[in-house]
Amino acid sequence: MIKKVKKLVKDFGLGELRTGLKVTGKEFLNKNITVQFPEERTPISPRFRGLHALRRYPNGEERCIACKLCEAVCPANAITIDSEMREDGTRRTTQYDIDLFKCIFCGFCEEACPVDAIVETHIFDYAFESREGSIIDKKGLLAIGDENEKEISKARLEDSKYK
Amino acid sequence: MSEIEFEIDGKLVFANQGDSIISIADREGIDVPRFCYHKKLSVAANCRMCLVDVEGVPKAQPACSTPVANGMKIHTRNDKAKSAQKAVMEFLLINHPLDCPICDQGGECELQDVAMEYGTDVSKFNLGKRIVADKGIGALIQTDMTRCIHCTRCVRFGAEVAGIVEMGGTGRGEGVKIEPFLTEGIQSELSGNMIDVCPVGALTSKPFRYEARTWQMNAVETIARHDLVGSNIYTQTYRGRVKRVVARDNELVNETWISDRDRFSYEGLNHESRALHPKIKKNNKWQETSWEIALDFAISGLKKNAQNADQLGVLASKNSTLEEYYLMQKLARGFGSENIDYRLDKANLSIGNTMLSNITLAEMESTDHALIVNSYLRLEQPMINHRIRKATLNGASVNTINNKKFDFNYQTDLEILSSPQKTLLMLQSILKSLHERTKTTVPKYLSKITVDDSQNKIADDLIAAERPVIILGEHVNSNISSSDIASIISEIAALANAKIANLSLNGNSLSAEKVGFKPSNNGKNAISMFTENTKAFLLMDVDFNYDFIDPKLAADTFNNDDVFVISLNSFEDEITLMNSDVILPLAGFYESSGTHINFDGVAQSFSASVKGPGDSKPGWKIIKVLADILELKGFEYTDSTQVADDALSMSSANNNDLVENNIKETDDSKVAVHWQYSPYAIDGITRKAKALQETPIGKMNDAFISLATAKELKLSEGDLYHGVPVSINETVAEGCVFVHTYQSRKG
Repeated sequence: MIKKVKKLVKDFGLGELRTGLKVTGKEFLNKNITVQFPEERTPISPRFRGLHALRRYPNGEERCIACKLCEAVCPANAITIDSEMREDGTRRTTQYDIDLFKCIFCGFCEEACPVDAIVETHIFDYAFESREGSIIDKKGLLAIGDENEKEISKARLEDSKYK
Repeated sequence: MSEIEFEIDGKLVFANQGDSIISIADREGIDVPRFCYHKKLSVAANCRMCLVDVEGVPKAQPACSTPVANGMKIHTRNDKAKSAQKAVMEFLLINHPLDCPICDQGGECELQDVAMEYGTDVSKFNLGKRIVADKGIGALIQTDMTRCIHCTRCVRFGAEVAGIVEMGGTGRGEGVKIEPFLTEGIQSELSGNMIDVCPVGALTSKPFRYEARTWQMNAVETIARHDLVGSNIYTQTYRGRVKRVVARDNELVNETWISDRDRFSYEGLNHESRALHPKIKKNNKWQETSWEIALDFAISGLKKNAQNADQLGVLASKNSTLEEYYLMQKLARGFGSENIDYRLDKANLSIGNTMLSNITLAEMESTDHALIVNSYLRLEQPMINHRIRKATLNGASVNTINNKKFDFNYQTDLEILSSPQKTLLMLQSILKSLHERTKTTVPKYLSKITVDDSQNKIADDLIAAERPVIILGEHVNSNISSSDIASIISEIAALANAKIANLSLNGNSLSAEKVGFKPSNNGKNAISMFTENTKAFLLMDVDFNYDFIDPKLAADTFNNDDVFVISLNSFEDEITLMNSDVILPLAGFYESSGTHINFDGVAQSFSASVKGPGDSKPGWKIIKVLADILELKGFEYTDSTQVADDALSMSSANNNDLVENNIKETDDSKVAVHWQYSPYAIDGITRKAKALQETPIGKMNDAFISLATAKELKLSEGDLYHGVPVSINETVAEGCVFVHTYQSRKG
């Protein structure tokens, strides 16, 4: 009987609404936490695994030596590599393709790379305009690396003490 | 050889006196790590990786050089053995570079595998590593001697198997280097096996360098058909192309080794002159077309030109498959033509020429005397030569009768020089000498023959031997009296109780013989086809430049406007385009399934390793379709194995009938020319293998002439003889020009 009366008072006294508005009222005065993407961005871990890139040494020489360990370790078979002997006798890739539709961003390629050539960068917001656009070739990967080398090396440095 | 009983890892096993621990462990499936031990090479015990614990012996013992003894208790995995193995591993890794990611051996490296099990992740060694400068050992083998761990397998291989000591260890202690003694590169025809025996990446395949990683490739079991042996190989393929060839063990055929020709010829498959699409010649202009149009064009041209069935000629190279030979001859005979032949390079095409061998490859090894006639065996049949070499190491003696003295990799007793025109006479003298020695009646036709001391010595050696073998080589093919030579050799063999090895039937010739791929019932042979009215030709894998004994005669016929030529060919080089009217692209070696019949008469079938490039198709399919369009019966095949079954169930024609013996008047006054292709120019695919052509053997280009003969021909050192530089040499028989070259036959 008492239960019924209590419920009637709560229902007609807009009890639920007041509870909800209490939270709103409290947050109304607090600092805003919505991030205005893409103008604003949340901080990301140096270990973040985003879009791939191929790196170069400071002297401009590409790092990749076509050992194909990334290709072997890739669980999604997203990487395709072809190699040759370059004129100076070194082992180099002639083709380095990553299919981003196949890629599961596990980061194994980066783990396997003996020369830190293939890396997964902090970039996660990218789009393709065509079906074939999902495959990035060697030129594209090197360009991503060149453009973002500062961030890539910084992230690697930050993480190095935990490795 | 008493049986002894001992224990290995707690397992009771039996072995013979003198067996090493490691050989028994291998037999029992117990894994003992090793680098320098190789089952086919002598024991060096210098890597120390195979140390095992023998109870009662204070120190760990090397399993490869410790013979087993009764009651021995061996532990390969206890603490003592393991710690010894780990210590050795650590020492080996001190100087080994950490460049596995760019090393072609990575993934199939014995050091890598053993290091995974016995190595530690961090090295205690922090001083500088040793670096060795590479001297380079030729076009076939890539050296990275910094990776060498001094197991000396390659050195022992050179000394014990190849028979040419070309590599060795120089220096002492830390300064030891394995290097070649000469700078020109490795000369051996078996050198590629060093790549297989090298446990690390110090010696790797040069044409394969950086092409693919070992784990990416598919290995397909197949057969090499460049020679009579039919070596068992794996083709390793990657993305539809053959990337490498390695040996496959078969004790009866090639043991563990293969020749460089078998190993590196695959390069020719990727040559730029491959025929990729069917082509037809209309109004003297070539146009690419579809299979349907090309096949119709071929058949209508054939029907138009060969209105009389007898006007069709069918020729094939000696390297085609059993299936191709079988279907080709079936097509020709179904069409009504007997003009079939594969013996394009033989000067004498009478039947007696196809004397059969009656010895097996494995038996060659236990022979105690070999008489080599007309053969540079080492380069011609490397694997058979290896068997003979093994026999000589066990005390066999070797005599030779050749146009020129050759470099054999074993000691020869008596090397008789005999020009091609005198070879028959020489053999008849030996036969007479044998008759005299065995006190049998000398046949009438030998009555005028004279015998000298060296011939007597050869006869004596044959009689004295218990298991002699007479080897007749390829050089006899260009000899006009080759069938008489073959029949005399048969008689010599019968008298001396010797076995015969007829190596003049090279490539897959035994398959062609098996299915009767040569004319019978008055058909025209490979020579008379060109002299007698033949209007249409069907050619299988024929190289117009190289294959014919008289290329000029053949070219004249093919170039004739009213002769229609259908070429099934893997390559479309200039001469093929000039001489043919239709080119049907043929899948080459390793791209088609087939069967090879080897020296022992064993039919070895193989499947295709990769698909032919472009539109090319396997030969047997092309011929089957041609026959279907011609509406011939009996070509209802869907698989090459059905063809092989039919071909193998054919009763082979009687090949052993010999011709009448009589002395032919040979013209001694003329100078005989023997044009011998280098072993890397014997078939289309090897000729197009780039690395092979860059080796000393591939670059052979000499016309050897003795001084007297050179004067007669008015030639001097360095002059060109049909485009080949003359080399005045006293190891050539008088009255003979011995041309050993990669160039095609001229004149």
